[in-house]
Amino acid sequence: MAKAVGIDLGTTNSVIAATEDGHPTVLPNAEGSRTTPSVVAFTDQGERLVGQLARRQAILNPKGTIYSAKRFIGRRYEEVTSEMTAVSFDVVEGPQGAVRFKVGEKMYAPEEVSALVLRKLAGDAAKYLGEKVTEAVITVPAYFNDAQRTATRDAGRIAGLEVLRIINEPTAAALAYGLDKKANETVLVFDLGGGTFDVSILDIGEGVIEVRATSGDGHLGGDDFDRRIVDHLADDFQRDQGIDLRRDPQALQRLFEAAEKAKTELSAVTQTSISLPFITADASGPKHLNTTLMRSTFEKITADLVERCVHPVEQAMEDAKLRPADIDEVILVGGSTRMPAVQNLVRRLTDGKDPNMTVNPDEVVAIGAAVQASIIKGEVQDVVLLDVTPLSLGVETLGGLMTKVIERNTTIPARRTETFTTAEDNQNAVDIVILQGERERAADNRVLGRFRLENIRPAPRGTPQVEVTFDIDANGILNVSAKDRDTGAEQRVTISESSNLAKPEIERMVADAERHRSEDARLREAIDARNDLDSVSYQVERRLEELGEAVPVHERARAGQLVQEARQAIKEEVPLDRLRILTGELQQIYHGLGAMASAGAAGGPGAGTPPSGGGDEDVIDAEFTPSDSE
Amino acid sequence: MNNQDEVPDRLPPEGESLPKDVSEDVSEDVSEDVSEDVETKLADLEDRWLRAVADLDNLRKRVARDVERMRAEERDHAAAAWLPVLDNLELALSHAAQGDAGGSAVLEGVRAVRDQAVGVLARLGYLRHDETGVPFDPAHHEAVAAVPRDDVPPGTVVEVVRPGYGDDRRQLRPAAVVVAKQAA
Repeated sequence: MAKAVGIDLGTTNSVIAATEDGHPTVLPNAEGSRTTPSVVAFTDQGERLVGQLARRQAILNPKGTIYSAKRFIGRRYEEVTSEMTAVSFDVVEGPQGAVRFKVGEKMYAPEEVSALVLRKLAGDAAKYLGEKVTEAVITVPAYFNDAQRTATRDAGRIAGLEVLRIINEPTAAALAYGLDKKANETVLVFDLGGGTFDVSILDIGEGVIEVRATSGDGHLGGDDFDRRIVDHLADDFQRDQGIDLRRDPQALQRLFEAAEKAKTELSAVTQTSISLPFITADASGPKHLNTTLMRSTFEKITADLVERCVHPVEQAMEDAKLRPADIDEVILVGGSTRMPAVQNLVRRLTDGKDPNMTVNPDEVVAIGAAVQASIIKGEVQDVVLLDVTPLSLGVETLGGLMTKVIERNTTIPARRTETFTTAEDNQNAVDIVILQGERERAADNRVLGRFRLENIRPAPRGTPQVEVTFDIDANGILNVSAKDRDTGAEQRVTISESSNLAKPEIERMVADAERHRSEDARLREAIDARNDLDSVSYQVERRLEELGEAVPVHERARAGQLVQEARQAIKEEVPLDRLRILTGELQQIYHGLGAMASAGAAGGPGAGTPPSGGGDEDVIDAEFTPSDSE
Repeated sequence: MNNQDEVPDRLPPEGESLPKDVSEDVSEDVSEDVSEDVETKLADLEDRWLRAVADLDNLRKRVARDVERMRAEERDHAAAAWLPVLDNLELALSHAAQGDAGGSAVLEGVRAVRDQAVGVLARLGYLRHDETGVPFDPAHHEAVAAVPRDDVPPGTVVEVVRPGYGDDRRQLRPAAVVVAKQAA
């Protein structure tokens, strides 16, 4: 089945997203990047390059590299005279006053150029998804007129896409946040991208989103902020060293990269260091640029840029006849809205509202377009609401521990089986205590039920295998069964109350576990260490018995002594280190004895690491079968 | 891969025979309606179940693929973060070579460190690319300047300002190059 995608066809960059299993996700392009430059190049060799590759050769091919096609699409030649001067390629008048890009002897319409970008996006997405992409929702700025929308739709058609719908960028952003489900809301969308700034005010009601007002600044964006940092650094350097770095193209490029990085970092920290060693050289030797940029300095040198956002916002509110207090929600779009100064400004202008910014602002428009596409295609209706287990479920094991069988937040229905064993020689029954909760100690959790599996055939500890199965059905009803693999004997119990805990109770239990986490972890560690030591001393003892006279006297004595020490250590609450040292020593002895055994009779039982576990009560052993232990 | 995708088609709808038998026993129209409902419902549920199983299997494959992809991306990311350090080391070396320290033993040692770094990157799968005299190719090169030259054909890489690392499949960055253009 072909996928319907959402495409944010931007002035500088474009993004494509699709809904997969009900979740909209951005699809990376063939170069592995989540955004694709909206740049197309026609080379002398007659090649067409799109995206990153086109951008890389731009400097060699200034007349044949078309960017910002969005500024021209659907417009008449006489409307774009100011835009024309800002680009390096030739813009000419075509038939009926249309805009054409002249590359060599050929003419290209803006929609043809945009079509090439769309074709690459859709083609790469298809490769990533492994299925054809034939239908798309494409976004345009809210202020686009009919001609611009029609031309964008045509671009989609030229690219071989069926354009399901053209939607407004702010509307897509609102959809990405699920705001279309709200009853009556007024939403302000603040979109500060790489090179353009748009403000829109939306009215949302009964699933209909209407644009009430738009405003903006066609030439304001993140690139302007980068340039301010570059100038700041270059001015300082010139003052100190008397060299203007802007005159050296290589130094300038390094400065721009460092500026962009510093800007990004200053959104998270209040100061950042800029280090450009060997940035240039003069007769006295190499020069380095090493400096620190404070966020406060950055905000000072860009204050006027931020201030330029004020008027469009106020204008939009005035046009919509709204006061700041009338705005219910604010959405931030565009990477530049990550800057704290911009966020503060938005708060200031909207009566202190906290803006929505949980969805990546570079991707939120494409995500929203993908949501729209899946709504149109009806992909959403098949969603089954799945429940989860609110708390972990498990059994009590050796040493009074809770061993989880089903972790909390597991989607149900779910079924898990773990195999347990006995803790004592000739143990003929195991008690299954069913627990619910997040604490490590069995006693700190809720007991849901208990039962006993009897008539286990006499065997050394660790030998019997008891399969315990937890099965929760879609209604949250828990079935626990225990089966002795040897005899096939089985016992089961059904618990219907596992899911009907009140929400506060669940929250309390989870919070409790969180609070006691470190102390619980220590407790678990101690019990585990003791169990391990007990298990290995048991193994050594058994091996000694099996081998009998084959073991040299001095080794027998040493092993026996260590086992004694271990028993003592388990009884007294000795420190963890001591337990571990003893365990290590006994493991070595066990391996030594193992080598002896295989030398005598090949393939003695339990060659390899000793299965751990052991104990004193008739609760089942903590350790699952050897396949699960190490 | 296709094998599992076909799951929904492969299994016969087992449930179909059962409701029919029931409906033959009972002659009333009402129960026929009911059995038809049951049949539809059963077919629907079976379809959903098979889809769910197939979805799960496809998800499993995707997760395996995603993990592989993320590992590669993370490796690229971590390796790329070290490139400026190597670049600066090279800049230092080129400056030192011009100065008095040109032939010193320390410098020789530092050069070895540079070679070591380039070697590490190569072993990670990111080969260094700094060839000149080759035709400009945007897949491997990023043009930072064009200079008029009459000794080489236009479009030839005449200088590598910053070497590139990695090949087409996993490219950390293209080589930043100066390209020849038609001498005026």
